[in-house]
Amino acid sequence: MGANEILGVAANAGEEEIRAAYLSKVKEFPPDRSPAEFEKIRDAYDTLRDPRRRARAMFVSTESNPPLVSLIEGRAMRRIFAGPKLWHEVLKNK
Amino acid sequence: MSPQCSAIETSIRQLIVNGKSKTALDNAKDFHKKQGSAVSEALLVDAYLARIQALSDQNLAVEAAALIALVRERFPSAKARLDVLNATASAHRGDLNELLRPLTDPGLSPERRASIEQVIQNRVTNLAALAACAVLPPEHALRQAAAAIDKAFAAVTSGPVTDEQIALTEVSHRSPLAPWKLLIRAIAFFYRNDDLSCEQCLGAIRSESAPARLVHAMRAMLAPKPATHLNAAEAALVAHTGVGLAELRAALVKLDQAFAHGEEPGRTLQAVRGAVRECRQGAPDLLTRLKQLIGVKAEVAGLDLERTVVALDGAPRRDANFFRDLAQTLEHTGDVEDLVLACERWDYFRDEATRERWFAGDGLEVAALYLHMAGILGRIPPGLLDELRTATGKASDEKYFLNRGKLFERACRIDPHPDSFAKWLESARENSIAEAEGVAHAWIRTLPAAVEPLLFLMEQAEKRNAFPKALGYLDQAERIDGVNPAVRTARLRLLVAGAFLQLQKKKPHLAAQKLAEIGTLPQARQGDRPAVAAVLQFLIRVAAGENPNHSEARLEAERAFGDSVAAAILLTGCAEMAKVAGVRVPFPRDFTAEQRAALPGSMARVIAVVKDIGFSQKFQVFVPYIEETETQLPLVGDSLSVDALRALGEMGINTERLQLAWNATVSGLERRGATEAYFVLLRAKALAQGFGDRRRVLLATAMQLGRTHHDLDVSSQAVEIWRQLYDEDPMPLTADQAREVLRQEIASPWLPSPSSRPGPNYAKLFPDLFDDGLCLCPDCRRRRGEVDDPEDYSDLDPGEMERQFYERAPSEIPPDMLPFLFEATKQSFLEGGSVDEIISRILGGRGGRKKKGRRR
Repeated sequence: MGANEILGVAANAGEEEIRAAYLSKVKEFPPDRSPAEFEKIRDAYDTLRDPRRRARAMFVSTESNPPLVSLIEGRAMRRIFAGPKLWHEVLKNK
Repeated sequence: MSPQCSAIETSIRQLIVNGKSKTALDNAKDFHKKQGSAVSEALLVDAYLARIQALSDQNLAVEAAALIALVRERFPSAKARLDVLNATASAHRGDLNELLRPLTDPGLSPERRASIEQVIQNRVTNLAALAACAVLPPEHALRQAAAAIDKAFAAVTSGPVTDEQIALTEVSHRSPLAPWKLLIRAIAFFYRNDDLSCEQCLGAIRSESAPARLVHAMRAMLAPKPATHLNAAEAALVAHTGVGLAELRAALVKLDQAFAHGEEPGRTLQAVRGAVRECRQGAPDLLTRLKQLIGVKAEVAGLDLERTVVALDGAPRRDANFFRDLAQTLEHTGDVEDLVLACERWDYFRDEATRERWFAGDGLEVAALYLHMAGILGRIPPGLLDELRTATGKASDEKYFLNRGKLFERACRIDPHPDSFAKWLESARENSIAEAEGVAHAWIRTLPAAVEPLLFLMEQAEKRNAFPKALGYLDQAERIDGVNPAVRTARLRLLVAGAFLQLQKKKPHLAAQKLAEIGTLPQARQGDRPAVAAVLQFLIRVAAGENPNHSEARLEAERAFGDSVAAAILLTGCAEMAKVAGVRVPFPRDFTAEQRAALPGSMARVIAVVKDIGFSQKFQVFVPYIEETETQLPLVGDSLSVDALRALGEMGINTERLQLAWNATVSGLERRGATEAYFVLLRAKALAQGFGDRRRVLLATAMQLGRTHHDLDVSSQAVEIWRQLYDEDPMPLTADQAREVLRQEIASPWLPSPSSRPGPNYAKLFPDLFDDGLCLCPDCRRRRGEVDDPEDYSDLDPGEMERQFYERAPSEIPPDMLPFLFEATKQSFLEGGSVDEIISRILGGRGGRKKKGRRR
């Protein structure tokens, strides 16, 4: 997985966006509880905060021609606003 | 009360607790009929109330009301409790007036208020009715809170909401409606895809409260797989708030397979249509990206563009992302011609990305992209690149992206980084030295403080014997970075080389000038270096006409070394380099026994100082000295330092005196320690042709021991040799295997040849390497009857031919003769002769049948 994917930022993300994503990930995977994951996040951040390394990462693919199905990996389902009625039905019928 | 009655009462109360209100009521009736006591009456009332509650919970409002009326009539003492139940049942039917009316009574007891609020918290789900309840004044906190919650609930389930919309400041944390705040926040987090926060809110909702009725359904929505045990209303809610991606996943897998298996275009395009349809249904936000990815795959697969666009229901967006994906995919198809297309697509990407403001047109990213493109072109064979460049048919400026030099030039102009210039220089060297020198000059112009290009220009001038020019570059380099090790060693090397050149030109007075300069250098006075200066002095005098064999300078050289044998070795080699004739030195046979024994050590000193100053490539050692060193080394190897053994081993390899290199490994391996990896590698290099399996084992061992001793130089050298020889990744060894190989090698000090004792048999240690455990050495193969026709060399490679030759060479032939004999035999064989024939011709008398017509 590339540095951009690890931090969950787009290839053209700016410095602020990268830093915000890094802090958010560290909050999710603090070093004392998830040392291995934190290590990856730290490495990814080190790559992306260096302008030259960030530029290189933009062009080097970790997986060339990935399967199309990888596009929906990590997605369970799309969430739809159905209005209050169905929610009320559950409340009434329980 | 008797124990029996007490037991009955306990069992009835247990039934009530367990929700078996009907059985509890029947048993209580029987019990009261028999007992007729106050206790039995209280128990019966409790059973009735439990039954009324149960009927109410089951939405059997009429039945509950009838039972309330019955109990009210028969048991007036239960009036207060029945009022609450009655109000609860009414609330359940949507009529909250009866439940809420007591709240307007100023004299309402705290207990009654608490029981009413408990019912509101746990039973009331119709917040609109609560907000509109007429028995409470409009400004009543309960009505205000209910109205706010009802509004927020409608908002949060109908579309995205802000935090302000669901703040619900009207609802205090003590309110019986407080759990609704948590529910509404949970729903908001759910739609914001913040599942963690959603779950935290759900977990905080009191399980007996009315909003908790949604917790089960919401947890089902959060689960990655469809939940079971949902009632109809819950199932409907789950189904309508989320669209699963199973159909889309299946469609994408089918399309991936179609592309992977290269199915016929019709089927692939059908799969494209299916994937687009499912994506539009299940994940419309991904449709643009999916169309791009399909577009890339279709283009690389060579699908018809128009048909693809129709199947996609519109062309994919050809933006920076699209060209980036396309270029990356083309880079990895394995087709060299696609690399050119990849560079072209990267150029499109640069245009689009600049337009989309990914980066500035002269940003670091563009420089990095140019370097990346240059790297891609570096993977194309140069001749083919020229052809492809011509085939594109564009003007020279337009196809800059197919010219590595132009790409590097552009990259260095935008981002003049030393690494970029170093890559450019390396690339230019592959074309021509003149081009590389042009790059070095461009580097100096851009980065005047760079030492690397000056050193490169200096080395090139040195190679052309243009020493003044080389020294000029060195002057510049010294001004920039005088402590740089490469700079520090260069001046002495250049002056020595210049002195030799002047001697070769028969201009001793100019050589003397160089020597005078050498004398001013502090580094020329370190270690054995003064000996080299003394030898140069001697050669200058000889070149000027002094008798070479009675020169005071010669004695000075011997004094500088403190070793007449080392001085003789250095003298002969330097005289040869300087083309100074008439220098006589003693042959080894003229040495004393002590001098002969000291020869390996003296030789190592000379090799070391020559290498240290940097003229070892042109320095040649008098051959009889090498031969004697080879003879003496096994006798005195134990007394030499590891550095001396290394020097002698390297000399053995460089002069192709494999026995000398091997002898160095024998003493070197016995020392054990950190240098054992080096000597194992040296032994691998010293093995003659025809011992490929042992060489593999030695190289693999050197790699492993190098890692163990952190000697990366040895490990990387072993890997490089392995890849050059076998064109595959090296064989990994465990530390134990490496130790075992080392043990067996130390126990085998003989340079292997067919006429010597066989070396270690590694077939058991590495069965995979040795053809399922079978040793491939000639002896074992012959024992297995695998060499059917001893003269059938037609399918042999040169190494195998050599091995067979040595195997079959008569023992009476001196080992020194064997290499010459082999060359002659090979020549004869190539001309149609046979091994036996040539051997018999050499030895006279041994004959064999002649095979005709065998030519390769």
